[in-house]
Amino acid sequence: MKNGRAVVLVVEDTAIIRMGAIHLVESAGYEALEACDADEAIQLLEARGDIDLAFTDVQMPGTMDGIKLAHYIRDRWPPVKLLVASGMAIIEESSLPTGSLFSAKPYGEREIVDKMIRLLDDDDRSFAKIEE
Amino acid sequence: MLKLASLLKATAAGSAQIEAYEIDLVRPNRRIRNLVVNACRLDDGDKDRIRILLAVTDVTDVRAEARIKDDLVREKAILLQEIQHRVANSLQIIASVLMQSARKVQSEEVRGHLHNAHHRVMSIAAVQKQLSTSPGGTVDISRYLTQLCDSLGASMIAEPERLSISVKADDASVTAKISVSLGLIVTELVINALKHAFPDQTTGAIKVAYDASGGDWTLSVTDDGIGMPTGSNAPKAGLGTGIVEALTRNLECDLETRGASPGTCVTIRHLGDIDHHEDIRPAA
Repeated sequence: MKNGRAVVLVVEDTAIIRMGAIHLVESAGYEALEACDADEAIQLLEARGDIDLAFTDVQMPGTMDGIKLAHYIRDRWPPVKLLVASGMAIIEESSLPTGSLFSAKPYGEREIVDKMIRLLDDDDRSFAKIEE
Repeated sequence: MLKLASLLKATAAGSAQIEAYEIDLVRPNRRIRNLVVNACRLDDGDKDRIRILLAVTDVTDVRAEARIKDDLVREKAILLQEIQHRVANSLQIIASVLMQSARKVQSEEVRGHLHNAHHRVMSIAAVQKQLSTSPGGTVDISRYLTQLCDSLGASMIAEPERLSISVKADDASVTAKISVSLGLIVTELVINALKHAFPDQTTGAIKVAYDASGGDWTLSVTDDGIGMPTGSNAPKAGLGTGIVEALTRNLECDLETRGASPGTCVTIRHLGDIDHHEDIRPAA
């Protein structure tokens, strides 16, 4: 959280889609941060402690894809909520960390905003519960 | 080889039978051959001279061919997945550009056009999503229209308690090509109804229906709004109307627009000897 607003980290390698996602996050009233791959995302997560949600693509160049990144984040920063988007129509839910949400590309703006609200508002999805 | 020898002994004694026993034949300076051994005791009534019927088949080449075929099938699946992923990503780029443009423009009218373009792209994308999860290249029309109308409603209806869109469709699968046309027609008609049918009503409902029997099918979009203005009040036909008319012609359908008291009902009827259902021939 920063000044009472949730902070959302957008991880997406395609610049135009990333731009769109940033606008989407901002128009939903959140603070947006951007990274073009998993390594950059991890650097940002290490550098600042106020990221509430990571919204990540799956297929990305670099050392980790979005699924690996999601698991890495859940492992290292358990409170950070996870929203994963991919061009694959179905990703096995079981391949994602518990409590994360998935959207198939191309996603509608409303769909993403609704899912971000659900993740950020839903206390049941907090890490304390998931770790049980 | 020791195991085979003991199995053969047991076969001769009548206590075992060898079925599809695999051995690798290893010889110096020669390639390993995969052999399949079958053996059974011949019961010819002669108890003193026991005979065994033994068959050895060299399956090395057949196995290699099967492996190549498996690799090709796997490669094809990976390529297909890669293409689907690329298509989805490209559609996402187009959708993102249209939404960003819509956010930037000042004119309300232009913004409306950009949003409509976005809806059209998303309606085609929904077909793509369905195709990538359904085998055989066909689209479950009920699931598709429901998903399409849900997403149109989510992005266009600000007060869901006031306006609703419902879908009632028969269980039918149609080809990708036809479902793209049906999706675009429904998109145009639903956008049109949401825009014009309910200027001041407290509530309104849009009903999308698809009925199929044999080669005949009917698609209808009905609203309970104010009905169509007539005479000099009738608006000029827009791009949406043009798209609906062109696609209807292409599908060899009749298009009928009538008052539904209250509201408007648009029906697209296909009476056909050509059965579009379950037709999975590749597009020419």
